[in-house]
Amino acid sequence: MTHLLLDRLARLGRFLWSGWVGVAGLALFAALWQQGHEAYGDFILPSPLATIRATGELLSSAETWRLAERTTLRAIQGFLLTAALGGALGLVVGYSAAAMRLARPLLTIVMGVPPIAWIVLAMIWFGSGTGTVLTTTVVASLPLVFANVAESVAARDRSLEDMAKVFGAGPLQRLRTIVIRHVTGQYFSALAVALGSTFKVAVMAELLANIDGIGVALAMSRSNLDVAQSIAWVVIIVTVIFIIEYGAVQPIRAELERWREAARPWGVKR
Amino acid sequence: MTALVLDGISHAYFGRTVLDRITLRILPGELVALVGPSGCGKSTLVHIAGGLIEPQRGRLTQGYRRHGMIFQEPRLLPWATARGNISYPLRVAGVDRTTRHDLTRRAADLVSLDRKDLDKYPVELSGGMRQRVAIARALVVEPDFVFFDEPFTSLDVALKRQMQDLVIEAATQSRFAGLFVTHDLAEAVRISDRIVVMDERVRGISGERIVSLERGARDDAAVFAAVQTYLKEDPLFSHIHDTDERRIA
Ligand SMILES: Nc1ncnc2c1ncn2[C@@H]1O[C@H](COP(=O)(O)OP(=O)(O)O)[C@@H](O)[C@H]1O
Ligand SMILES: [Mg+2]
Repeated sequence: MTHLLLDRLARLGRFLWSGWVGVAGLALFAALWQQGHEAYGDFILPSPLATIRATGELLSSAETWRLAERTTLRAIQGFLLTAALGGALGLVVGYSAAAMRLARPLLTIVMGVPPIAWIVLAMIWFGSGTGTVLTTTVVASLPLVFANVAESVAARDRSLEDMAKVFGAGPLQRLRTIVIRHVTGQYFSALAVALGSTFKVAVMAELLANIDGIGVALAMSRSNLDVAQSIAWVVIIVTVIFIIEYGAVQPIRAELERWREAARPWGVKR
Repeated sequence: MTALVLDGISHAYFGRTVLDRITLRILPGELVALVGPSGCGKSTLVHIAGGLIEPQRGRLTQGYRRHGMIFQEPRLLPWATARGNISYPLRVAGVDRTTRHDLTRRAADLVSLDRKDLDKYPVELSGGMRQRVAIARALVVEPDFVFFDEPFTSLDVALKRQMQDLVIEAATQSRFAGLFVTHDLAEAVRISDRIVVMDERVRGISGERIVSLERGARDDAAVFAAVQTYLKEDPLFSHIHDTDERRIA
């Protein structure tokens, strides 16, 4: 039991340690930003410090938290819907070669339509409300999750299922203990990408359809020509994505992919 | 009472007949070696006997209670530890956790796996260790019949020997019957009670020989002598080293 706990702690430690590299990258980015600011002036590109100040100001207002919450809740709903639908459909279609062949051209079409077109359509169908945001986010990120799961199921290693069959596992047991477990790695990678795109598309939909949330706030600061505040909103949305990805999606993935971690040469094991 | 009966089994892949009316019976506690050149249908026969492939014709009667199988590759679940892999058949059978734990430990001891290796993932284990895990997984259900499909082909000589000893030991202890596929005649002589020869020209079994020595009493010299006699003087074995797969493909 204790060694399992130690394992998790070690993983957290490694993650935090790798965070330093991230910080270095951010510092480099801030330096370039500062250069840009000095070259183009306050109006085009406010300095990083000014942006931090604007972010602080925003965060001290209750309205900001309310807007962020609305957007986050919508995006999370869209994300969960995507995760559930994409996972389930992917599993079903991946099992059947015929369904797979049917799905491929459909995917190409759905993925080829720009999200903005979906926003327009959704506005016509659902008006300016949560329905529009949900539709657009799901349509934008579902194909990715679906395709990853379906391809992963279709390309699975049958020999493991034969092994399970020899030891008496029925189709459902094989699905549960082998196929689903096999797919989870790719599923969670796809979810990590889908999470970001869900938030981005949610904000975009709010902005274009004038739906109460960060998108509208962003539109407002744009019309006030308040660049620092616009960037501050971006900072907030990126932070939310970061928190969800590294607070929920990646830890689950790391837990499921412990065996891959074990293969790393520096993963000294007891 | 017979442990396994194959009666007139035929099978074809895409219209190309691989097995043609195969008949074979194996007694309880008997270890039968199946030898033959690569590509002659040994794996197909084992998979049919183990219930993985439905034969196109013929009847299969399994007179045993439970079987285990060891494949040519270990076929371990990469995401499960050695312990998880060994206990997988028990999990499938719905055995409760404590019993699972005990049986897993016993099977691991049987194949001399270290306790500390039980918490490792397959990627962390050597080839021999992985094959040991696969053997333990086959034995954990306490089978009275075990299928071996060229389990040691990819191992080096010393390791192969060790594994063979392990099988001989386990078979003596638990008295299971088995079908042991190999294309190594020495392995067949060391392990089995009876050697059945497959030949792709007849798409089936061309004959069989009883191994005369007692299973425990076969030293290297006796095994070597038996293999030499079979290869030099027995026409039945004249084709088992044919490996030209182009001819049959
Ligand atoms: N799933 C399959 N589909 C088509 N042909 C197969 C399949 N499995 C085996 N074969 C063919 O059947 C023949 C016998 O194969 P196999 O039983 O694996 O032989 P062995 O185990 O003796 O090497 C080979 O010629 C092989 O190419
Ligand atoms: Mg084979």
